[in-house]
Amino acid sequence: MPEINMRQALNQALREELLHDPTVHIWGENVEGVGGGFLITMGLSNEFGERVKDSPLAETAIVGAAVGAAYCGLRPVVELMFADFTYICMDEIVNKMAKVRYSFGAYNDVKLPIVVRMKVGGYFAQSSEHSQTPLAHFMHTPGLKLVFPTTPYEAKGLLKTAIRDDNPVLFFEHIIHFAAKGEVPEEEYFIPFEEANIRREGSDVTVVAIGYMVDLALEAAEELAKEGVSLEVIDPRTLEPLDMDTIMGSIEKTGRVVVVDEDVTRCGIPAEILMQIFEQLTEAGKTPVPMARVGAANTPIPYSPELEKAVLPSADKIIEAVKKVLV
Amino acid sequence: MKLTHEDKILLYRNMLRGRKYDEALTKMFNKGQVPGMWHSGIGHEAVGAGVATFLRQDDWLEVTHRGITHGLAKGLDARMWLAEHLGRVGGYAKGKGGHHCADREHGILIGGGTIGSCFPIAAGAGLAAKRLGKDQIVVCLFGDGAAQRATLHSCMNLAGVWNLPIVWVCENNLYSITTHVKNAIAAENIADLAHSYNMPGEIVDGQDVLMVTEVVMDAVERARNGKGPSLIECKTYRFREHGEGEIPTPYRTREEVKEWKKRDPIKLFRYLLLDEGVVTEEDLNAIGTKLDKEVAETVDWAIESPMPALEEAFTDIYVE
Ligand SMILES: Cc1ncc(C[n+]2csc(CCOP(=O)(O)OP(=O)(O)O)c2C)c(N)n1
Repeated sequence: MPEINMRQALNQALREELLHDPTVHIWGENVEGVGGGFLITMGLSNEFGERVKDSPLAETAIVGAAVGAAYCGLRPVVELMFADFTYICMDEIVNKMAKVRYSFGAYNDVKLPIVVRMKVGGYFAQSSEHSQTPLAHFMHTPGLKLVFPTTPYEAKGLLKTAIRDDNPVLFFEHIIHFAAKGEVPEEEYFIPFEEANIRREGSDVTVVAIGYMVDLALEAAEELAKEGVSLEVIDPRTLEPLDMDTIMGSIEKTGRVVVVDEDVTRCGIPAEILMQIFEQLTEAGKTPVPMARVGAANTPIPYSPELEKAVLPSADKIIEAVKKVLV
Repeated sequence: MKLTHEDKILLYRNMLRGRKYDEALTKMFNKGQVPGMWHSGIGHEAVGAGVATFLRQDDWLEVTHRGITHGLAKGLDARMWLAEHLGRVGGYAKGKGGHHCADREHGILIGGGTIGSCFPIAAGAGLAAKRLGKDQIVVCLFGDGAAQRATLHSCMNLAGVWNLPIVWVCENNLYSITTHVKNAIAAENIADLAHSYNMPGEIVDGQDVLMVTEVVMDAVERARNGKGPSLIECKTYRFREHGEGEIPTPYRTREEVKEWKKRDPIKLFRYLLLDEGVVTEEDLNAIGTKLDKEVAETVDWAIESPMPALEEAFTDIYVE
C-alpha cells in the first residue's frame, strides 16, 4: 500500500468525490492552484475548473453560501483556513446550518449536505487566534456532525463519508497531522461515523483522546508501559455521533478512565463524555469509576512556545492524570 | 415586461390576497390565538406582488419576516403557512419553525430569525442556480435594518465577483423597529450601495405595483441572461407597528403614518385599474369576496389542524 501524508489523503478524497458527483463544489480562500496555505486542494482547480473556486476573504459568505447552495441542490465542501474563524460565521453555522432541517421543513424534506473543512490546533506558535480547537461549541449544537481524523487513512475514509452524508458536517484537520505519513489504499473506501477506533489495547486505564491528543496518549502509553501500566487508547473519530458503546466496553474492562482534549478544559468535551459515562454507569446500577480529564488551561493560547507548552496538554500531563485515577 | 389585462388583475389579486391573510393573522394574534410573534406587512403589498407574481416556480425567493404577500404570490401554501404560525402539525415544519417558513417546491428559501442572514443564503442559492445551469434566478428581499449588517457587504461583493443571478430588493420602510434609516445608514439611498459592487442600482416607488414589477422583472431578465446582480430599493412603509401587540411610541408621528396611508398600494392600484377601464367595481369586489371565502376556509382548516405530538420535538434534527 502506498504511504502518503494527510494532505495527499485529503486531496485524494476530494478528487474522488468531485469525480463521483457533479454537485460537489469546493470554495474557500485560496483553494485554487496549489491550494492555499495548507495545500489540501492542490491541483483540483486545474482539473475541475469552476467547481473549485477562490472566494473573497469572507467567512460569513463562504459558509452562509454553503447553506443556501445546499438547500438549492449543490453538495458544498467549503474550506475555512482556521477553525478559529468559525467565530466569524457562528450565525451561519449555529443558527442556520444546524437548524434548517428542523425549523424549516419536515414536509419539505430539507437536506443540507455540507462539509466545512478547517485546520485546528496549537503547538505551532500561532498565538491566540490561530491555535484553537473549538469543537465543544459545536458538539453543544444539535444538528451538526463533528469529525476529527488522526491518520491519513482515516482522513480519506472519513472525508468521503462526510461528503456523502446528507447532514452538515464540520471536519477538523490538525496542523501537526498534515505532514504525517501513513498507508492509504488507492482504491475507494469509506469509514463509517460513530465507530471509535481502539488505537492501543490495554487493561489498566481507558484513555479517550480527541484529535492530536491521540498521538500524545500513545506517547504516554509507551512511557507508562515501562512502569508496567497498561493504557487502552480510544479515538472516537466522530464526536457527533459519538460511539459510547466502545468507550463503555473498554471501561468495563479497565475500570478507570481519562478523557483528553486540546481545547480549554472548562465546559469542554471531556466534561461531557465523563458525565455520560457516569450517567450510564449509575443508570445501570454500577459503581462509578475513577475518572479524570486533561485539557488546555483556562487561558487564551499564548504565543511564546514555552508558555504555549505550559498551557496545552502534553504526554506528561496525561501520565499525571492516569496516575491520579490509578490510586 | 409588457403586462396584459389579466396580468394586472393577477397583481391586484395577489396584493389583496396578501393583505387579507395578513389581516386574518393580525386579528388572530390580537385574539390570543397565535403563540409567538407576528410582523404584519400591511403597506408592503406592492413590493410583495410586484417581485413574486411573475417569477418561475423554480426561481428562488428569499422573503423577510414581513413577507406574506410575497410568499403567497410565489406559491407558498396558505394553509401550511397559517398552521405553522399557530404551531400546528399541519404547518411546514409541523409547528417547529413558527414564523420561519420555507417551501422548496415553490422556490421559497430559508428566511430566518437573524436579520441580515438572508444575504449569504441568497448568495448560495445564486451560486447553485448558476452552477446547475437551469436558468434559475434568485430574488432576495431585505429591509433597511438588514442593510445595516456586514453580511450585505460580503455577499453583494461575492455575487458581484462571481456574477451571480441575483436581484437584491430592499424594502425600505424607513424604520428598523424604531430607529430611522437616516440614523443608521450613512448612504443617502440604499440603492447607492450598488456602485460599490459594480451593479445597477435603482430606486422605485414601493407603493406602485406596476413600477415595482417593471423594474424587478427587468433585473430578473438581466440576471437570467447572465448579466449578473442588480439592486433595487423600494421606498415603502409599514402601516402597523413593528410587531403585533406593540404599543406605538413617539418614534414616528401620527401625521407621517396618515400621509403614508393615503398611499395604500392596493387602493392606488384599484383606482388605476378602474381609471384605465380594465375592470369594473363589481369585478374587483368579486375578487375580494372570493378571497374572503378562501381566507375564512383556510383559517378554519388551520385552527382544526391538531397540535403536534410531543414526540415531534425530537425528530427532524438529522437526516437518518
Ligand atoms: C441580527 C438581528 N438583530 C436584531 C434583530 C431584532 N430585529 C428583528 S426585526 C428588526 C428590524 C429589522 O428592520 P428591517 O430589516 O428594516 O425590516 P422591517 O422590520 O422594517 O420590515 C430587528 C432589529 C434580529 N432579529 N436579528
